[in-house]
Amino acid sequence: MESDNQGSKHCDESHDYKHCLEMFKRLSEYLDNELDEVTCKEIEHHVKQCVPCFSCLQTLKRTVDLCKQTANKPVPRAFSEKLKELSQNMPKTTNP
Amino acid sequence: MTTATNPNRKIIKDKDFELVQAINTDQPELFHDLVKRYEQKLYNFSLRMCRNPSDAEDLVQETFLNVFRYLKDFRYETKFKNWLYRIAASTCIKKRRRSKFAPERELSLEDFIPKDEAEAQQQVPDWALMPLEKLLNEELANIIHQAILSLPDKYRLVIVLRDVEGFSTAETAHILNLSPSNVKVRLHRARLFLREKLKGYFEHGER
Repeated sequence: MESDNQGSKHCDESHDYKHCLEMFKRLSEYLDNELDEVTCKEIEHHVKQCVPCFSCLQTLKRTVDLCKQTANKPVPRAFSEKLKELSQNMPKTTNP
Repeated sequence: MTTATNPNRKIIKDKDFELVQAINTDQPELFHDLVKRYEQKLYNFSLRMCRNPSDAEDLVQETFLNVFRYLKDFRYETKFKNWLYRIAASTCIKKRRRSKFAPERELSLEDFIPKDEAEAQQQVPDWALMPLEKLLNEELANIIHQAILSLPDKYRLVIVLRDVEGFSTAETAHILNLSPSNVKVRLHRARLFLREKLKGYFEHGER
């Protein structure tokens, strides 16, 4: 990430590669609305001109969306019963 | 160390406030209501943190035991749910330490930077553009679950708390006793790791 050349071949010669890497580092913060307005505008401006960065942003966003959609499994009945028993066998006070 | 109550202390009266107070005051038998309220959330959190369901059950059980043990110390200065996850996360970390000897793998940002033209996507792939509901199915849910499980623990905890459980960066930092910037760094790497797994699935899988 520190090297200017690393990861830089994905845009054409006239492209500001360093900028791509700077954007890449901050994409999650951008998706989470955790960046200041100036940086947000900078990212938005950059991805309008750089397809690989736009693609990276979209796939990252989709990854986050999919994570947020993961469904919860029900608690197995036997385990729920075990927890009930455990709660009933707790001491008669939470005082130490 | 003083035991005097801080007059500026802010009490958070969330949906669990009355129940926790009742348990702590004179109705410990209501603890089961608290267990019922959170068993499914904690069970699923544990399934995402442990590779096998029986370990997940142990983690839930141990967490509730610790919750009961330390409930009297809960100061209502945070939402009860956040305190509960703090106990769950620390129980999980302690359990891991007991069972593991190998140092944890680090994820480096460099590993996720597209390195050449072949890797760089010149157009947005279909899976990022399709409506979400068309993508979701059991197979994909399983791929995501496995991908989360294959993350090193410290990244997994962060992504599960942030993106699955929906805690904010500040809340996650408090739950894990980390700085917010540390949470952000771990989260970004964890997301990039999952993105790689999903990319692989959509490029080489059945879709």
